[in-house]
Amino acid sequence: MTYRPLALAAAFLLPALPAAAQGQLNLYCSATLEWCQPIARGFERESGIRVNLTQKSTGEMLAQIRSEARNPRGDVWWGGTGDPHVAAGEENLTQPHESARITELHDWAQAQWRQTQGRTVGVYASVLGFGFNTELIARRNLPAPRCWADLLNPAYRGEIQMANPNSSGTAYIIIATLVQMMGEEPAFDYLKQLHGSINAYPRSGTAPITAVARGETALSLSFVHNAAEEAAAGFPVGHAVPCEGTGYEIGSMSIIRGARNLPAAQQFYHWALSAPAQIIASQEAKKLQTMANRGVPLTDGAPNMATARIIDYDNARFGASAERRRLLGRWDREVGALPR
Amino acid sequence: MFFGTSFFFWLIAALGTLVLPWHMQQDGLTLAGLFALGRGEAEAASALSQAAQFGRFWFWPVIAGLLLALPGALPSGDRARRARFLVWGGGLGLAALMLQGLAVGIQGWNWPVLARMFGELEDRQFGIGLGGAMAFAGFLILLTDGLALRGYFKGDRFVSGAVGLLVASILVFTAWPVGTVLSEMFTPRADLTLGAAMAERLFDSKIWGLGCVTGRVNCGVFWNTLLLATCTATAATILGLCFALIVTRSGFRAKKLLRLLTVLPIITPPFVIGLGLILIFGRSGVFNQIAESVFGLELGRWIYGFNGVMLAQVFSFTPIAFLVLIGVVEGVSPAMEEASQTLRASQMRTFRAVTLPLMLPGLANAWLVVFVESLADFGNPIVLGGSFGVLSTEIFFAVVGAQQDFGRAAVLAAIMLVVALTAFVIQRSVVGKRSYVSMTGKGDVGLPTRLPPPVRRVAFAVAIPWAILTVVVYVMALAGAFVRVWGRDWTPTFSHFERAFALEWSPAGALIFSGGAWHSLFTTIQLAAIAAPITAGLGLLASWVLTRQRFAGRTALEFALMLTFAVPGTVIGVAYILTYNLPPLEITGTAVILVACFVFRNLPVGVRSGVAAMSQLDKSLDEAAVTLRASTFRTLRTVVLPLLKPAIVTALVYSFVRAMTTVSAVIFLVSAEYEMATVFIINRVINGDYGLAIAYCAVLIVLMMAAIGLINLLVGRRNLGRRAAALPTPAPVGGRA
Amino acid sequence: MSIPIKTTGAEVRLTGLGKRYGQVQAVKPLDLVIEGGTLVTLLGPSGCGKTTLLRMIAGLEQATEGRIFIGGRDVTLLSAGERNVSMVFQSYALFPHMSVLENVAYGLVSSGERKQAAHAKAEAVLETVGLKGFGGRLPSEMSGGQQQRVAVARALVLEPDVLLFDEPLSNLDTRLRRTMREEIRALQQRLGLTVVYVTHDQSEALAVSDKIVVMRNAGIAQAGAPEVLYASPDSVFVATFMGEANHVRGVIESVTGEHCVLALDSARLTLPGRGLPPGPVDAVIRPEAIRIAPPDTPNGLEATVTRATYMGSHTEYYFGTAVGELFAQGADRLRRRQPGEKVRLLLDEEGVVVVRP
Repeated sequence: MTYRPLALAAAFLLPALPAAAQGQLNLYCSATLEWCQPIARGFERESGIRVNLTQKSTGEMLAQIRSEARNPRGDVWWGGTGDPHVAAGEENLTQPHESARITELHDWAQAQWRQTQGRTVGVYASVLGFGFNTELIARRNLPAPRCWADLLNPAYRGEIQMANPNSSGTAYIIIATLVQMMGEEPAFDYLKQLHGSINAYPRSGTAPITAVARGETALSLSFVHNAAEEAAAGFPVGHAVPCEGTGYEIGSMSIIRGARNLPAAQQFYHWALSAPAQIIASQEAKKLQTMANRGVPLTDGAPNMATARIIDYDNARFGASAERRRLLGRWDREVGALPR
Repeated sequence: MFFGTSFFFWLIAALGTLVLPWHMQQDGLTLAGLFALGRGEAEAASALSQAAQFGRFWFWPVIAGLLLALPGALPSGDRARRARFLVWGGGLGLAALMLQGLAVGIQGWNWPVLARMFGELEDRQFGIGLGGAMAFAGFLILLTDGLALRGYFKGDRFVSGAVGLLVASILVFTAWPVGTVLSEMFTPRADLTLGAAMAERLFDSKIWGLGCVTGRVNCGVFWNTLLLATCTATAATILGLCFALIVTRSGFRAKKLLRLLTVLPIITPPFVIGLGLILIFGRSGVFNQIAESVFGLELGRWIYGFNGVMLAQVFSFTPIAFLVLIGVVEGVSPAMEEASQTLRASQMRTFRAVTLPLMLPGLANAWLVVFVESLADFGNPIVLGGSFGVLSTEIFFAVVGAQQDFGRAAVLAAIMLVVALTAFVIQRSVVGKRSYVSMTGKGDVGLPTRLPPPVRRVAFAVAIPWAILTVVVYVMALAGAFVRVWGRDWTPTFSHFERAFALEWSPAGALIFSGGAWHSLFTTIQLAAIAAPITAGLGLLASWVLTRQRFAGRTALEFALMLTFAVPGTVIGVAYILTYNLPPLEITGTAVILVACFVFRNLPVGVRSGVAAMSQLDKSLDEAAVTLRASTFRTLRTVVLPLLKPAIVTALVYSFVRAMTTVSAVIFLVSAEYEMATVFIINRVINGDYGLAIAYCAVLIVLMMAAIGLINLLVGRRNLGRRAAALPTPAPVGGRA
Repeated sequence: MSIPIKTTGAEVRLTGLGKRYGQVQAVKPLDLVIEGGTLVTLLGPSGCGKTTLLRMIAGLEQATEGRIFIGGRDVTLLSAGERNVSMVFQSYALFPHMSVLENVAYGLVSSGERKQAAHAKAEAVLETVGLKGFGGRLPSEMSGGQQQRVAVARALVLEPDVLLFDEPLSNLDTRLRRTMREEIRALQQRLGLTVVYVTHDQSEALAVSDKIVVMRNAGIAQAGAPEVLYASPDSVFVATFMGEANHVRGVIESVTGEHCVLALDSARLTLPGRGLPPGPVDAVIRPEAIRIAPPDTPNGLEATVTRATYMGSHTEYYFGTAVGELFAQGADRLRRRQPGEKVRLLLDEEGVVVVRP
């Protein structure tokens, strides 16, 4: 705990000193603002570097980074689903980096770093599962779902929501997970059967769980932490991690190619992987994701990646745009085009 | 007068070229940095100094243009000779300025062909700054002055300059970015040839499919969009007309209230209406629960999809139709109606045969505005669409969704543009050619005719329930700001306001705005207040030029002016960062890009309301002023503007409010320094923090109403000496129920 | 009465002036001189280009060819405000949001005069047009004739080189029209103004003009003093446009010197020859040149009464003749002819003109 007094001193000195003395960092953050702000402030305290924070959803951020490719404005891109980070790596929008803290991370985080040749590293993980409205299913005498197979129960007909995979990364991860768990043909058979129970494919990934929270639909396929957050906000939302096993997304971090403040970016990268930086998620931002650093204890109510049956998600294959396009095309033809 | 002479503008161009720093200064511009001759660093120097000291040869043509224009800018001399110098000098300066900016970028030559011709350039430059901007403006006016001296635009310098300004700003802030984003359509894809990729994007069944006609499959987004826009436009126009008729042509006592009510939805961020509708008509909403408990009916999820989106859009856009139509209804000369009644026509026949046809261009105008608004609407479909996709959401997700396909987004944007432009062409060809001038220089007499009873009954029957529904939606939605968890835990609380707008006193006694929303609120108000007058001014100038001046390319200019309106915000946002992130105009991350976005996105409304008002204004009024030695500018100021007050109010209000409530375009353009209220709110909504979001919305609504009141007060009403309508007290509608 | 207006009454000279909208020729290139201090009327049916010509002089339309000189100065490329001209519009174009005084003073204030001085002068001019004390009213609170005077006052106050009128009386009733046109004429002569006046009403043109320019199909059909146009029109069009006229076909039998002999059926008339060769020719007969005589009168035109309308002061007759139907007025109140009656028509040579067919 030796850094504390130093950080405090820095925090007091900060306004008095010209910003240029410590340099600055343009942080592109794709997590929620509740999380981005403490991260930015934490790094400012730690390093004395002024952080300019821009917060946008992952897809929007990728669009922005892509359009800024010839004249990059951001230095580090922190947070948000891994796939766009991987896509950015494929397009050479980000640059590889190695931190000494790589070894402190969980295997899934290290795996992503290796698979992307060091361009992207996992900082947290979100587990895929079900969310359900406890009041609504009680009123209709529906059982709470436990497994993927339960969802095919005719009683759930017209009660399930899943995002449209064409627009939502979450929904694409669902398809990729099922393909990895069941094999491609059975997975698509499953999705075709599920189609009859689905009442809508909204465009946004978080729309289904919002609908569950407000009693607009009984069940959704969502990230477990989203369901837990709705429950924490006071809504009657329960969640489950499927018994057959499930997939996850990796919240990632990349250094943007051509970063104007490269040393600061590398310093941030190193810091963001540390346990003190990652503990901010549960302590300040009340987040339920699993953090990448092994030294961070699990938040109460968060799904345990160790005990849940988590599949070995193949980021390299399913993150690639060609495979994505193929699977989405197939989904469009065989599932999306079916009558309901 | 020295100001406004050609020489004055030559001095501006000279200042920009010779003295001021040409490029944008990374760390802002200081007073000392203004004088930029003989600087140690190229980037901080003026164009002249860069050319002379740092060997940046590409500035010499600009300086040559400046010198060439000088003989023309001096007030004496032969007219034709001056015109030649001005046209050639201004034109050369302008062309050289743009060419060098486009050709030399941050990595040397921007075009490979130049590198092949001249070899690699060992130098680079960033975006233009104060100097470059002033030079651009100066050269532009010199050129238009020259053209006016040559006899173009009836020799009118002001008109020439206005057209030049409009054309230049449209080219820079609309055509260029839209062109940039549309050119993305032709980017090849890794696994396909260009032709195959184009074909796949263009002939996608997700766009053109007609499955919903034959089976229970969704139709293509094209048909969805078309159907939605048509239905919304028709419904909103009818509703808007009802409100306009009630407000202007009936003795309804709560007129003021009704007027306020119809304005309310405009000043609301779109998702508030969507959420309010869910709370009422959603599956767990009040309406459905009552239906279920009283009638045992399970209504289910009907609000999601086409029904809900249309309902929300009609809520959102009826006020726009109303704002357009109120000017139209007020503009119909009572004399015509009185004439009809003296011709033995009944009230009903007068309404049907005279009033309605006279309003037809206005109705078509309102319909078109709403149609295109619906086309470009993003907030409502995203909240209520469910599986129902429209072009705007499809474009958004093509850019930011799992596909990340700019090419597809560009194709969809192109389709949307074609639809909007087609609507525009149809409107022009069907009703645009008939002009109904009913406000002549003779001064109108007569009272506005009362509505015929059947029409009045219909108008009230439609408008009153709608007004009540609006109130309910708002109460439901805004209640969220004052309860703990919206839709769940209805314990009253002010904690959301506290979190957003807390104020603290520092130990030293200074006020600290410690709430999370202050920063974005101040930024938003500031930028909206800057953008609104620019939008209104430019829009009315444009409408005046379009209706009163004849010149080659007028129709093209009109088309271009309408262009941004047809482009959805998302596309504009992406187009703006694609275009302005690079020199020569490197304004990403600054306030300029946000203001430009507001101005050029809302310009069409200013233009439309101006055109509608202007076409009811007798042309000989301006001509009279001109023959009375009034300069064109003076004519505008003393004759046209006072008679256009309603249109000015509309344009000001609309652009201010839109600047404060736009989401889709600015979401790409905000930066940490310039954060907008709507983006802040949307982030809260995404995060599920409805309480704070709605509390913020409530504050915005109050603020905007105050602003609208202020604008109305500042601009005032026009006094035409029409005899004041002393209407008798109306009979209560449908008895005293 | 003190006249607060001083004008130069400048000459207007148009050389080869024309206007073309794309393919449409609105005004064919024409030459015209309007002398200083005269009132010239542009007369013609609607669509003949007279208003376009007026607007080109005003500077409201740009000429596509030719030049305009006012007082010897080339104003072709100048804008309306830079030419020293004023215009009175058909709709008057009074600014509805300004008082009468503000309307009249508008031009002066625009030209940079102090507001107080401008108002004083406007007050004086309003008095000249008989509207003393009306300055505070809004235009909508005035009658048509008053509005018209305000429009004239507003134009006059600038002391223009040329004053232009675009059908200024078309919105007034007949009696007012007669009064107003006399007022305009009186004002013009009193102040020595150069006035260009557009109208489609020939009696208005005859009453006020020093010179009339009859226009047809975007060109000048004939220009000249009212008497000249009336007495010796160059064409049937001008003749019929300038008042009532019978158009018949005849034959020139012989030409001797300045004169010719025109044969109309059995009648023989000696008329100014106007350079026409012997042979078929058009002739125009003014109604007042026809006298009705008993059927046995020699050298008359045989005719039968087809219609007779009693008009109080006179009777209007239509006659069937060998050269076609003729219209005439009979002053003989005592002896009214009945339809079917045979008569002879004596033609007064003063009222018959031969024109080129």
